[in-house]
Amino acid sequence: MSKPVVRAQDLLVGYDGAPVCAPVTFTLNAGKAVALVGANGSGKSTVLRAVIGLLEPEGGTLQVLGAAVDERSVAFRTQVSSVLDDDAYFPALTVSEHLYLTARGHGVRGADTVVESLLTDFGLTDHARSLPPALSSGQRRRLLLAAGFARPRSLLVLDEPEQRLDHAMRDRLADRLVAEKRAGGAVLLATHDPELLLAVTDRAVHVHEDATRVLSPAEAAAVIGREQP
Amino acid sequence: MTDEVDRPAAPAVQPYELGPVPAPRSIRRFTAQAGNARGGASLGSLLSDVYYAVITIAISIALALGFAQAMRVALPPAPTVEPPRGLSLATLAVLMLVGLAGVLLSLAGRLGPVGAGGAEAAWWLSLPVDRRGLLRPAARRLPIVAALVGAVLVALLDAGLLADVGGRWPRVAATSALVAAAIVLVAALVQSGGVARRRTALVGDLLLAAAPVAAVALAVAGSSLDEIPAPPWWLVGVLAIVVAALAFVVDARLGRIPERTLRESGSVATQAVGAVVSMDSRELGRALSDGSAPSNRRYVSRLRTVRGPRSALVSADLVVLRRSTRHLVQLVVAALVPVLVASVPQLASEGGVLLAVLLAGYVAMSATGDGARRAEMAPVLDRLLPLEAKQVRRLRMLVPAAAMLVWSVVVFVAIGRWAGDVAGWVVLGLATTPVWAAAAVRASYRPAPNWGGPLVSTPFGALPGGVASVLSRGPDVVVIGLVPLWIAILLRTVTPTLIVIQLVLAAAAVALSSSIQTKGFMERMMAQADEGRR
Repeated sequence: MSKPVVRAQDLLVGYDGAPVCAPVTFTLNAGKAVALVGANGSGKSTVLRAVIGLLEPEGGTLQVLGAAVDERSVAFRTQVSSVLDDDAYFPALTVSEHLYLTARGHGVRGADTVVESLLTDFGLTDHARSLPPALSSGQRRRLLLAAGFARPRSLLVLDEPEQRLDHAMRDRLADRLVAEKRAGGAVLLATHDPELLLAVTDRAVHVHEDATRVLSPAEAAAVIGREQP
Repeated sequence: MTDEVDRPAAPAVQPYELGPVPAPRSIRRFTAQAGNARGGASLGSLLSDVYYAVITIAISIALALGFAQAMRVALPPAPTVEPPRGLSLATLAVLMLVGLAGVLLSLAGRLGPVGAGGAEAAWWLSLPVDRRGLLRPAARRLPIVAALVGAVLVALLDAGLLADVGGRWPRVAATSALVAAAIVLVAALVQSGGVARRRTALVGDLLLAAAPVAAVALAVAGSSLDEIPAPPWWLVGVLAIVVAALAFVVDARLGRIPERTLRESGSVATQAVGAVVSMDSRELGRALSDGSAPSNRRYVSRLRTVRGPRSALVSADLVVLRRSTRHLVQLVVAALVPVLVASVPQLASEGGVLLAVLLAGYVAMSATGDGARRAEMAPVLDRLLPLEAKQVRRLRMLVPAAAMLVWSVVVFVAIGRWAGDVAGWVVLGLATTPVWAAAAVRASYRPAPNWGGPLVSTPFGALPGGVASVLSRGPDVVVIGLVPLWIAILLRTVTPTLIVIQLVLAAAAVALSSSIQTKGFMERMMAQADEGRR
């Protein structure tokens, strides 16, 4: 049996020695998707930041692709694609040029076809030549998500990908993530969207300050329903 | 993008045909070319900008050099017999250099010194390329700027205070440039070793605080240097080798700096540069303080002194000041500078003491207004508490007043010893305290320059109209509200009349700074006249 893509054992995350949630334990295998659910500020994004190496764990064990997380290694960056809530863009690069930068930066041959296809899938064709300041927040979000797919990967990490997307785009994103799993990729996402969770994930982890629990997608969807105001 | 390198192990999901990844240099070039093509900057406008920058810097340096040389000529010769508890100019200069080194180290720690801000962090750092190639320009920027500023600043200091030997300044400038670059490179080396930026900043702050403390200790002990020898050329050569070696090691270790550190540093640097360009000193202070502050506190203040809304506001301001090491160090240093100036025979003229009191007082006053500055940006507490806006401003003067009271006692005891009437000068100093507090609050609540309105072309570039009146809010109170102090120092005597006038002006300053008007008197008059015409 192959090594899990992500293995977190009693993983403790936080800032300056202060944990933000109870220790987290979960395993994510290739071809599977795991969701992190929980109220705002419960620590979902902090766990994701630890998985992609933007935060040093405060305790426990965390392995990605069988090794300790080290985003400084080229091998790690080749395998892990992440879409966080970064809202930063090169002001002089157009939408398509941002995608070219990502695709060509990862050595994708035939980047023209790849970028064209992503622009279509994410509804950005009409904005291909637009500069980011001219886009709406939803369009900028779609650009970020498209960039996450414009490159090869073994693990896709998404922080609330449903944010600022309309219903049709959420459905399309869900289809893409299902296809990602079928292609052998692993998906780790934090979400507040029960529909996305039910359509894509195989398991969920409820992140909370007292205790974290592994749940089925249906149980997690119910938790989201209860925690949403 | 060309200059390709080999790619590492293949990932699981790769629905595309893959080739070698490009070299970092070609990624930088791709981004820069798009920026140049769309930046709207023609060759003519670029040359014009460079011309303006070079002319402005040259004029500034020439003016500063002229001032420095005039100052040296104006300084009285060193007394033949060292007075007791005095400090020689040479000793003071050495300690000033130590303080400057502290400032530089502190700044380097707060700014990174290596970082990747905004778009670079989001779009470059995830690429599977050797990061050293992406970070190299950012890593070179600060050491080069530090070297240039260090060379000019120390050469001016040397020319102003010490140098009377031709051919000395090139060696002084070269040595200073190399030492400044070395300090920043050491900070980069420490950063690549995973040391938190706030620790580097703290070492710099302590070095800065140590300089005036050492100066006072040396003055009390009566121990001074007679002169500072000019650095020999061989020392410049050795320093050049050290800097080159440091630069080589830092370059080799750039890839070891974690992305989170690069993002934090880049974010602080972006905020700081934006603040400098828009001339917002409050934003600059926030960038330098918040970027290196811990996100959690070991000790939680229970605010036991809070008895109601008024004390809540004052207690909150006190906690803000107490938790900012940088501002406490700033206060200590600013208190000791006038003490030192009053103890160096060549500097202790009426003009020298007045300049030292005003400048050091302004620096100290700025350190005390952090609570008000934060409230101006996000008036969270102000809105929660049942207090009128004017009352809030008056209450916000209490912490600056308390801090400046301590500052005044230290400074005016020294001035009293210099002028020969300690009690009188301390009373005058205490009477000035409300003026400093009022200036701190007025400066904190000043409106931002209106960059949305028409811009005025100046030798310093295009600036918004009315920027001078905005930036003078705070300093204006210091200048006008302390006229009796000016007169007293220039006459080297304190009279009851001056103290009474100082108290009256202090009351006026407090009243002015309690005002919640954002427009000046003239602007309000013109607006009223416009309304009357309509």
